[in-house]
Amino acid sequence: MNDDFSNLEAELKRMRPCAPSSELQTRLAAALDRPAAPTAQPVSTYRSAFSWRSWKWTLWPAAVAAAVVLALVITRRPDPVPPITDQTTHPVSGTAAEPLTTTTPVADLYKPVSAENVLYDSRDEGLVTLDDGTAAHRVFQCYLDTYTWRNPRTDASLSWTVPRDEVRIVPVRAY
Amino acid sequence: MEDLPDHASWNQWFDRYGPRLLLCARQWTRSLADAEDVVQEAFVRFWKHQRGLGGEPLALLLTSVRRAAFDRARGESRRTAREEQVAGDELEGGAFFEPLLEGNDRRAEIETALRCLPFEQREVLVLKIWGELTFEEIARQLDIPANTAASRYRYALASLRKELTAPVP
Repeated sequence: MNDDFSNLEAELKRMRPCAPSSELQTRLAAALDRPAAPTAQPVSTYRSAFSWRSWKWTLWPAAVAAAVVLALVITRRPDPVPPITDQTTHPVSGTAAEPLTTTTPVADLYKPVSAENVLYDSRDEGLVTLDDGTAAHRVFQCYLDTYTWRNPRTDASLSWTVPRDEVRIVPVRAY
Repeated sequence: MEDLPDHASWNQWFDRYGPRLLLCARQWTRSLADAEDVVQEAFVRFWKHQRGLGGEPLALLLTSVRRAAFDRARGESRRTAREEQVAGDELEGGAFFEPLLEGNDRRAEIETALRCLPFEQREVLVLKIWGELTFEEIARQLDIPANTAASRYRYALASLRKELTAPVP
């Protein structure tokens, strides 16, 4: 950055942001240390695709069909394609021209660069009473999560998008 | 940025990243309480679902925090763009920064100057200085060109320098 600003930048970097409140730490502890227990704060509960209540069961026949087709394609392929590798040849003096090959899996070169969560539906499912007697709203939310990996060497990117449902318990606040 | 070991507890992660996450969240929310709510939501989501992805955890966390702030604004049926709302409102809540050893006057002066910056400049400045993101990461985060991010950063620093008196040596 411009040298004219270096002193100001250094001074700003010395400023330490305020720590979150102890109440937030308590809420995080309730959400992360005992994830199964209902709490008086928003808690994410993931409804697995293996759950009988999940609508994602409707996708399983398509997934199985895709797997079968993929298996057929692989088993019937006449010439299997070798794995993609970076090959470096090192000549060795005094020997025949037999290359030495080092292999680097290309997949290792991809690094995650973003994780986005888009909320596309939210509905209030009404009031519920928690174990401690407080009232709370049960909110059902649908997200679309997109994770992106990028290969910094080739700038190729890979994105994975998956739907996710959350049920959040939000306490009723009195003002 | 130095990564925490895989076996580190969420407390260790939160001790390290919590203050910076909260400061960034306060740029995108109207109150300290809202900011803490979105930090909670993003951190719980990160810890449960995204921790194993690798890469820069703070960049992933900041993406989640920003998204949670947007979702919150949308959930409250605010129709105008978030940037316009935050820019138009006085940021509510307590101090942004911990007290300085050399006294609170300088801290207050810096905070006042920071709050007076245009929203777009303040957002980039906070992500760069305290979020420790590169201009490329900020550009991805805000969906703007990297050159624009760098320009906003320079404008923000120039405005701050104009507002602030030189620190007492």
